[in-house]
Amino acid sequence: MNCAQARDTFSALLDTRTAATAHAEARAHLAGCPDCQREFSSLNQTLAALDAMPTPSPTPRLRQNFYAMLEEEKHSAASLRIAATREHRARRVSLWGWILSPIAAAALLGLGFFVGQRSIPAATPAPANDAVAMRQEIKTLQDQVSKMGQLVGYSLLQQQQRPANDRLRGVLTSATLENPNDQVLNNLIGALALDPSANIRLGALEALYPHAGQEVVRAGVLASLPREQNPLVQVSMIDFLAAARDREAVPVLEKLSTAAAADPSVRDAAKRALTQL
Amino acid sequence: MIAAFEEIRVHPSPSVVEKPRLAPVDTSAEQRSDHALMLAVREGELDALGELFERHHGPLFGFLVKHTGDRAAAEDIAQTVFQRMLKYRHTYRDEGCFTAWMYHLARRSAADHFRKGNATPQATDPADLNEHADDTPHAAHRAATNDDHALLQTALARLDCDDREILLLARFQELSFAEIAGILECSVGAAKVRAHRALRELRDIYFRLQNEPIP
Ligand SMILES: [Zn+2]
Repeated sequence: MNCAQARDTFSALLDTRTAATAHAEARAHLAGCPDCQREFSSLNQTLAALDAMPTPSPTPRLRQNFYAMLEEEKHSAASLRIAATREHRARRVSLWGWILSPIAAAALLGLGFFVGQRSIPAATPAPANDAVAMRQEIKTLQDQVSKMGQLVGYSLLQQQQRPANDRLRGVLTSATLENPNDQVLNNLIGALALDPSANIRLGALEALYPHAGQEVVRAGVLASLPREQNPLVQVSMIDFLAAARDREAVPVLEKLSTAAAADPSVRDAAKRALTQL
Repeated sequence: MIAAFEEIRVHPSPSVVEKPRLAPVDTSAEQRSDHALMLAVREGELDALGELFERHHGPLFGFLVKHTGDRAAAEDIAQTVFQRMLKYRHTYRDEGCFTAWMYHLARRSAADHFRKGNATPQATDPADLNEHADDTPHAAHRAATNDDHALLQTALARLDCDDREILLLARFQELSFAEIAGILECSVGAAKVRAHRALRELRDIYFRLQNEPIP
């Protein structure tokens, strides 16, 4: 490797998000080339100086002006009209969620039950409350459920009507049971896959840890991973699968480890997990 | 020789934060994502913009101060950015990324500011920057580093506007290069090349200033 080639890797070496990945040849060149060392070190110094620059805070005026502007907009006629139509639409959407959520929960579990059919369709990163995407996803999942011939009993119908604290208590209670039955495990996996609160999804995952030996639990976590959006929960799920030594997770982890849309911490966790499997 | 190289430590970017594992999370926080909040704003739930303001006005203001070198201008531009979010809320897309959209608007608003006759950003007095810094360093340390900050702010100000912009986006704003490429409307490869070229340019100016005799 020559100087020009080595210097082409400097931007990757200077970026902590990519510095860890190999570039062995460039590092070897750098180790033996004083010119490149000087170049690298001067760039590194400039970045350090940039990072050390103080970040000032705005005056309180910015917040005051912002909220004044927001109030003004809220009271403008156009906004009031939109707010009124939104309420109608919100009611319609929540009705859909009401009917379809239990089916989606069952379908996700169904995915896990299919032996030999463990490849998950490409993750479509849509927020849980995106009703259109949700409906589409559910339609494909529904077909699978009808093939399965049985619905698994996690009922979000009841779940979603309860406040978050209540749902969390349910998850925590399940976690303390010594020998939880399949129903309880199903509920936990359902919460992990579909609960709108990241706290509850994390709680459910923690409650599932003691049961990682069960195929259905690992399958449930694996099926939930591609649709998870929160990096913290994603990383926790990946760690779970690595700890459970689930070789079935390899294709999903490989996809995540290179997914440009994934948070860097998620990509790193996936790479780490792949070395453990 | 290898040992010598290993002493060259890469300074971690401030955007890389250690995240806790399975941390106890505040159960009352049914936290909606930025994207979900902005979609809600688009659908008419204007109060959701308040939450977005609270989450993002700090980093946005930091970006604008470093970009313009002018605290008052940065505040005006930040205000304009949130104004435009309201005004153009119906253009926010289902598959959008809120942060990328915000910096897209910020970039346009800053460009308008520079066009209105503030062609050359001025270097802010670093003492002024320090006075309001989130993490005010110890006074003695401050005296020692003030010159460095001033030099760097001057170097930043002399940088090409586009170069300064991409450097600040890439280093501070927790954006991926894919998102930066989206903001700047160029390819990911081009964004990376431009960011690195901008860093080299800044390094050249910064080191030249350091070696200039003090007037
Ligand atoms: Zn060399």
